[in-house]
Amino acid sequence: MTSRRILSCIPVLLAGAASLGGCGLAARAQDAPRPPETIYASTCGYCHGHNVGPIIRGRGLPPEAVVPIVRAGLGAMPAFKPTEITDAELAGLARWISESAADPKEHGQ
Amino acid sequence: MSGLSRRDMLRSAGAGGALLASGAVASPLGGTRMLPPELPRDRFAAAVGELRAIVGEEWVFADEATTISYKKSFIPDLRGEHVPSGAVAPRSVDEVQAILKVANTYKLPLWPVSTGHNMGYGMATPASSGQMILDLKRMNRILEFDADLGTVLVEPGVTYQQLNDYIEENDLPFWLDVPTVGPIVSLVGNTLERGVGYTPYGDHFFMQCGMEVCLADGTLLKTGMGSVRNSNTWQAFKWGYGPYLDGIFTQSNFGVVTKLGMWLMPRPPVYKPFVVRSANLEDVAKVTDAIRPFRMNNLIPNGVLMMGALYQLAMFHRRHEIWEEDTPIPDEVLKAFAAKNGLGMWNTYFALYGTEEIIAATEPILRSAFAATGGEVLTEAEMAGNPWFEHHRTLMRGGMTLEEIGLVRWRGAGGAVAFAPVAPAKGAETFGQTALAKEIMEKWGFDYAPAYAVGGRELHHIIFLMFDKGSDEESARAEQCMEEMVTRFGEKGWCAYRSSVSTMDLVAQQYGAENRDVNARLKQALDPNHIIAPGKQGIA
Repeated sequence: MTSRRILSCIPVLLAGAASLGGCGLAARAQDAPRPPETIYASTCGYCHGHNVGPIIRGRGLPPEAVVPIVRAGLGAMPAFKPTEITDAELAGLARWISESAADPKEHGQ
Repeated sequence: MSGLSRRDMLRSAGAGGALLASGAVASPLGGTRMLPPELPRDRFAAAVGELRAIVGEEWVFADEATTISYKKSFIPDLRGEHVPSGAVAPRSVDEVQAILKVANTYKLPLWPVSTGHNMGYGMATPASSGQMILDLKRMNRILEFDADLGTVLVEPGVTYQQLNDYIEENDLPFWLDVPTVGPIVSLVGNTLERGVGYTPYGDHFFMQCGMEVCLADGTLLKTGMGSVRNSNTWQAFKWGYGPYLDGIFTQSNFGVVTKLGMWLMPRPPVYKPFVVRSANLEDVAKVTDAIRPFRMNNLIPNGVLMMGALYQLAMFHRRHEIWEEDTPIPDEVLKAFAAKNGLGMWNTYFALYGTEEIIAATEPILRSAFAATGGEVLTEAEMAGNPWFEHHRTLMRGGMTLEEIGLVRWRGAGGAVAFAPVAPAKGAETFGQTALAKEIMEKWGFDYAPAYAVGGRELHHIIFLMFDKGSDEESARAEQCMEEMVTRFGEKGWCAYRSSVSTMDLVAQQYGAENRDVNARLKQALDPNHIIAPGKQGIA
């Protein structure tokens, strides 16, 4: 068996997602909502609390404020489309950001 | 560093939230959206209905609220010339074919994007208003990963982050090569735009091998070896047989690329990043001449970045921290602030890859050549922990970072547009380009934030024009400044390798009438209804 065939049976993972199974083909983002921590780590956290964007954890930002900012972008922040972060994922993410404690490792703003 | 206040965020959210929640714009054709210029409203609505039948209700965005993400860009657009009419998001090649059929029927122009984060060039926005975004992000499968050959076959929605995670989860011995905003952008999108990265695999299109293209009439073309019966070399051999076609589908509107093969770099046993810190702006010429022979003979194997002080500082600082006046920042002020941060006026990043023995043999040769330019040659021994050194250490190993988005918030509410002329990799060229860019940008009241990406024999001069998109006056100046730069650089034969949607036609003119004519003939033959991305790279 070639390595190609071996690998084609390894479950393909989405960005930070749990293993989704399926031989040879990756599952799609909208099939399995990713947990908010994963989305934060693989998208938001590269800027927020990392010298680029303002710190948003531990501030009690209301979820209803987070959702439209993610969708429309704000200033230097890109907009994120429903094809990147689904509505269901965004609802969970906004809630998580609102409720999450500040991370002392975050810095910058 | 001042951030947005909680009150600012809530105020902004209030405006957006009202839009998202408003029933008044929940129906198709609601609000003030731009429609395709030659498509009556009822025909547009009928097309939207057919698209919904193909991809499902939730994956067609045809009202103002749900189209909002597709309108966002950092570039100036005072006259609303780059406003999409909506978006449609297929999840399969079959759906792409069906969408193209509808587009042909209704003459609905489609602007394909992979993830739509073409940062300095207009994000997802189209070359002209009214085009519907063909958002391919949902097509996000890694279809093949050959661990012997180090090749992958991916769909357009696969981000560098996704492939990075796959490699890590499966402990595969390969590195990616990323553009500066890897986590949220697509391998396919960046490669088709002929973007560059900073490992030895930095020329992305050079490392591309085989693609599947959906033509306007629904034909599925597999380039290179892809259409050979029982082929197993689609991702191994680039050139196939007869005319090489892949190139005509890059920076192009001749088809919709639905699969792309790429080569990955074997993970080296040892990796050692360097920075050469040069004190003066005019050192750019000497450093360029020092880099060139090592890029040509491959002693420096990776895409070298010569980063201007201001480009670097803008990643992590805002303008008012350095200079409170509206006038351009004086060189001496910039130099002093850079020095406080461990930076020179130019900071040249390269790396060595291989074994300890190979690096030990090469390093003294490079040190001696760069020391002769007057620069300080530094490694992690001196620079570990410096945020800029760490940023480039990440980039030169294909790691994930979004830190360069920081540049966008340099002035006011943020805004940026990139101009990237190419030149031969010679000192006199970089000296001349820097002088011209600085003259034009300072004339229009902007700060010159440069980076040079040095390939083998050429270099890309990446000039980030940072302005406040919240100010119409500043947006207008940014637009005029960009037009003057494109024009005056072009007069010297220095044309852009890529362009913002706002200057696609201007740049295309500089490449000559014959070029445009051949492109027009190809377009007419492959897409006679001009439904795929009209205006892309100046091709109607």
